[in-house]
Amino acid sequence: MSPVIIHHVDLSAAEPVIPLNPALRVCIVFWWRKLPLGMRLYLSEELPLRRSQWIVLTAELAAGQLAARLPEWGAPFGAVYDGRPRMVVSKDALLGLGNPLHLLEKLAQPAVELNQDITVIVCTRDRATDLDRCLHSLIAQRVPPAEIIVVDNSPQASASLVCAGFPGVVYIHEPQPGLSRARNTGIAAARSALIAFTDDDVEVHPGWTAELSRAFRNNKVDVVTGLVLPARLDTEAQEAFQFDLGGLGNRFVPALFDTSFFTRYAAFAVPTWRIGAGANMAFRRSVFSRVGPFDQRLGAGAAGCSEDSELWYRVLLAGGQCLYEPRAVVFHNHRADWSELTKQMRAYMEGHVAALIVQGAYAPRSGNHRRIWCQIPMNFLRAVKNGSRSRRAILPYEISGWFRGLRYFWRKEWRTPRSCTLNSILDVEK
Amino acid sequence: MRYCILDVDLSRPLPDAKIGLTESGLGLVVRWRGRLAGFRMMAVTPNTTVPATTLTELAQEWFGDRLLALEVERVIRDRSKEATPPAPSLTIAICTRNRAERLIRLLRSVTAPGTLATFSSWEIVVVDNAPPDETTRNAVARFPTVHYLIEPRAGLDFARNAALRFASCDWIAFLDDDVVIDRNWANGLYKAWCDSPDAGGYTGLVLPFSLETEAQIYFESHGGFGRGFCPIDFRAAKLDNPLHPVGAGSIGAGCNMAFERSLLLSLGGFDEALDMGGPLPGGGDLDMFYRVLRAGRSMVYEPDYAVYHEHRESIAELRRQYWSWGLGFMAFIAKSRRSDPSLREKHNKMIQWWFGNKFLAVMRTAVTARWQDCQFQLAELRGGIIGFFGAYDRSTRRAAKIRQSAR
Repeated sequence: MSPVIIHHVDLSAAEPVIPLNPALRVCIVFWWRKLPLGMRLYLSEELPLRRSQWIVLTAELAAGQLAARLPEWGAPFGAVYDGRPRMVVSKDALLGLGNPLHLLEKLAQPAVELNQDITVIVCTRDRATDLDRCLHSLIAQRVPPAEIIVVDNSPQASASLVCAGFPGVVYIHEPQPGLSRARNTGIAAARSALIAFTDDDVEVHPGWTAELSRAFRNNKVDVVTGLVLPARLDTEAQEAFQFDLGGLGNRFVPALFDTSFFTRYAAFAVPTWRIGAGANMAFRRSVFSRVGPFDQRLGAGAAGCSEDSELWYRVLLAGGQCLYEPRAVVFHNHRADWSELTKQMRAYMEGHVAALIVQGAYAPRSGNHRRIWCQIPMNFLRAVKNGSRSRRAILPYEISGWFRGLRYFWRKEWRTPRSCTLNSILDVEK
Repeated sequence: MRYCILDVDLSRPLPDAKIGLTESGLGLVVRWRGRLAGFRMMAVTPNTTVPATTLTELAQEWFGDRLLALEVERVIRDRSKEATPPAPSLTIAICTRNRAERLIRLLRSVTAPGTLATFSSWEIVVVDNAPPDETTRNAVARFPTVHYLIEPRAGLDFARNAALRFASCDWIAFLDDDVVIDRNWANGLYKAWCDSPDAGGYTGLVLPFSLETEAQIYFESHGGFGRGFCPIDFRAAKLDNPLHPVGAGSIGAGCNMAFERSLLLSLGGFDEALDMGGPLPGGGDLDMFYRVLRAGRSMVYEPDYAVYHEHRESIAELRRQYWSWGLGFMAFIAKSRRSDPSLREKHNKMIQWWFGNKFLAVMRTAVTARWQDCQFQLAELRGGIIGFFGAYDRSTRRAAKIRQSAR
């Protein structure tokens, strides 16, 4: 398998150009200036695109943005099960549309200021080079955040050397293992009204913090998540993760997740994992005092993952709102080795099951257990039947993760509701 | 069981849809500022009226995104308006046999004033294939601008090649005698040519002409000839189809296709052993699409280049059609597998996939007792088996014999 080359193309330019290269496949990310429009994979035989193909493609992608983003049409729209917004374009709105390119131009205006201070928290564990790249992208923000906190979860404090190279970055050592614990430590130290999280294997877009801040200003939401694009697709594992396993989300239109989303799918497990990814999320600080911090039983270093979606579950349960805003972009370095990927997918599934058990305790009769016993095994069967080669290769690891997740049923305290108040290590109110 | 077909332009005020006593459904063709944007069928209670507001709501729900995309596309095209090249000359070739009534219907739509205005230079030729009598000749005589040509050797591709030899224009568009062209057909073809001037051929959208019988409704609701309302560019490889270009079935249908004439001539015209009627009634169009792609040219599917096709009226005819698709497809695969050794592996995989898939479809429909689906799948599978085992060779010998006796 040859690598996939990633190209970024600005469709607002008169004549987009894709440089020819010998790669078998080219992944093109389409933008309209600073507004991400979409991403497609092409075989090199399908390139270069004709002028007419550019026009049709631009029209299609621009239409998707306009339909989901025009505030005069009611945006942002509520999400359906797959996390996409549900909206209907009416003919009267179309007839009175005006010049759609001007509207798009207006939507593509980048955010230029921070309306509220924002703290960026990066939790890391023994990934010095990745962290270095991540911090470089953070200090290069168009509008710098109020503070950057690195929480080092490594027992050897291996990130302290890297952080020494970045004056102004706050370094905290949290030797007790667990991503949730590290994040909570970061929250306790943060001083801003908005708290953004990213991972150490991520490089953020220069406009990231400004876009997050704008999303909080324009919408009365408690949580904002954003788009996670692949930073590189050099190996088979990275390609499989992005295209066969769905990556970390590939939706390019905003969607609102609120109480009606929760109640609509309450009979099944509410798919809060569609809200976004932990690599690109931000909270109002007040959320943590209302619904509690990250559950330290979940997350990398503990039960696997899904500590993010479990927290969003509590936010929705408490009547809060989450907004997916793909204008806030980060680039994630997927696992390069196949063995790393299989480990990750096993941890994902284990964490997912664990989170469902925890959520089942908060909201009994809410379909969380039905997902564990019916939906997930059905998905396995579907993967056997229709899955791609890579999807099927990963499947045994997912199934083993599922079994590992089931172990938490035997822990009584996981099945009994826990009061979701502030953890004592936090003093958010101060 | 009858569906009425309603053609509405959502950019204009809509009429109420009156559903007749005998009608049980509605086929809705939706346009936006004249351009085709979507087609959908729905069941409706007979002898009622579907108010315009309901129609609008449904159309918005189904095709709203597409309409918006068309609107944006219009603005982008207007913005980047450059001088459009003068249209090439066009030969319209209609091959027919014993279907004078339908031929007249088609010729009316083709010769309607203004239909071909886009093309300054055009000719229409009707090829009468092995006529038993004078009816077709008399029918064509009513249209003074239409040329009439006899091809005595029976076989659709004999007729198509006769039209190709007769044609004098840059491009040649083939129409079957059981279609009627859309009013934007010529504009759509011209647009496809302006958009992709380097393509070797174009195929277009095929919508149902009528949904009057069970067979027609069955066929259309099981996919029909529809390839959607977005243009598709077919080149040497396709991401979503690892077997492409082997198969070529998704590219389009022979009832509405156009090619560069010089390319067809250099490829030696259609394979006369395919589309022979009787023993091997199909595959000639797929074979040509495949050879165009293998010659390094692309094929472009253009939805604005649309026709309305009269689907088979009776279940027996439709069953025979499924049989002929299986037969034509597998005969073509067997032929191209032999003539194109560099893609043999893909051909083998296609044969495996096709037979496996058809066999599963037969089993699935039988187990769930969907007998009608089952008989169609079975007919196609039976056709495929005959097609794979020597149908092409038998047909080649037959074609040679016909050529000899005609000499």
